[in-house]
Amino acid sequence: MEEEKKIPPAESQTESLRIGPKAYIALIVAIVYFSGALANVPDAKWLAAFDFSTLMGGFGKVKEGGTFLGSAGVGARQGFLFALSLAPGVMLALGCLEILSHYGALKAAQKLLTPLLRPLLGIPGVTGLALITDLQSTDAGAALTRELYEDKLITKKELVIMSSWQYSGAGMINNYFTIGSGAFAFLIAPLFIPLVLIFIFKFVGAIFVRFMLNTVYKGDFRNE
Amino acid sequence: MNETTQATTNNPCDIFVRGAKKGFNLAVGNLLPNILMAYVLTDILNRIGFLKLASDVFGPLMVIFGLPGEAVIVLLTTWFSSSAAIGLTASMVAAGSLTPHDVTIMMPAYFLLNAQIQYMGRLLGVAGVPARYWPLLMLTSLLNSCCAMLIMHWFVV
Repeated sequence: MEEEKKIPPAESQTESLRIGPKAYIALIVAIVYFSGALANVPDAKWLAAFDFSTLMGGFGKVKEGGTFLGSAGVGARQGFLFALSLAPGVMLALGCLEILSHYGALKAAQKLLTPLLRPLLGIPGVTGLALITDLQSTDAGAALTRELYEDKLITKKELVIMSSWQYSGAGMINNYFTIGSGAFAFLIAPLFIPLVLIFIFKFVGAIFVRFMLNTVYKGDFRNE
Repeated sequence: MNETTQATTNNPCDIFVRGAKKGFNLAVGNLLPNILMAYVLTDILNRIGFLKLASDVFGPLMVIFGLPGEAVIVLLTTWFSSSAAIGLTASMVAAGSLTPHDVTIMMPAYFLLNAQIQYMGRLLGVAGVPARYWPLLMLTSLLNSCCAMLIMHWFVV
């Protein structure tokens, strides 16, 4: 990918588009679907049928526990297999997003979230869905981010800022409750405190990166 | 990736397949090479003993966060994989070198610093962030973790 690419500002392309109720419904569906809110509703387990992580499924087990990745693999071979194990999630995320954005979910996100994300992080609201997705799935979030850039909806600078938001604490909700649960027994503070801190610092970090891009790296973005 | 030759029907199944195809190209063209790179890099750093060296250098700084020197090993492991770090934590608590108090302070850092090497490929590489900014983003994660640990330190005292 070329370093310096002239891209028109994101708003100019989409400002004139009309956003009907269908688009907002699509957006709500997208947010609920990717956020993991329906993954484990105690009284309505069937709602998990509309949850991204649930639909991503699981690989069959190879003998006692473990997946086809086996255990204790290292280096390029393990990396290759691990990457293959992530592919279904990315395909599912982009497949569903394609449908939802067909009905205008991205445009609705842009309209609703721009007033929030623009002043805070200097990025358009169209990035909101990728950010929400990142809370649950790092890879799906990264894939959506790349789509936004390739569709020229965000500039390179906006790409760096939104990636910085995603990078620190990527997939935080999923990771916190799966990986983190191994340490829950030791916590002497309420469970939600570290999680809230992680969420806050995602914004703090991205604001810091925005500041750095506007000062130290200013020259890089002169033509945007 | 934006193939224009594809039939553009409005059938949701066809739309899904179009997106899934993009996902496959992305997974194979970007995710796979980037993760392979991250895994090889992790292996190299492990083999040359980076972890041990770094824990000797940074161990004394842990006092700032109210943590014992051993905690730095956990934080550095987090840099490669947070699941490995949590596993290590459990064994260190069992052995008595870490206390629940220490784990509570480090809790946000497990995720703010989570798998930075791997996510370099999985996130930054896939999203297409130029490598020029990767150090800045890593520094940001480190600052995030340090600030969060300071707040947790203040919170649990």
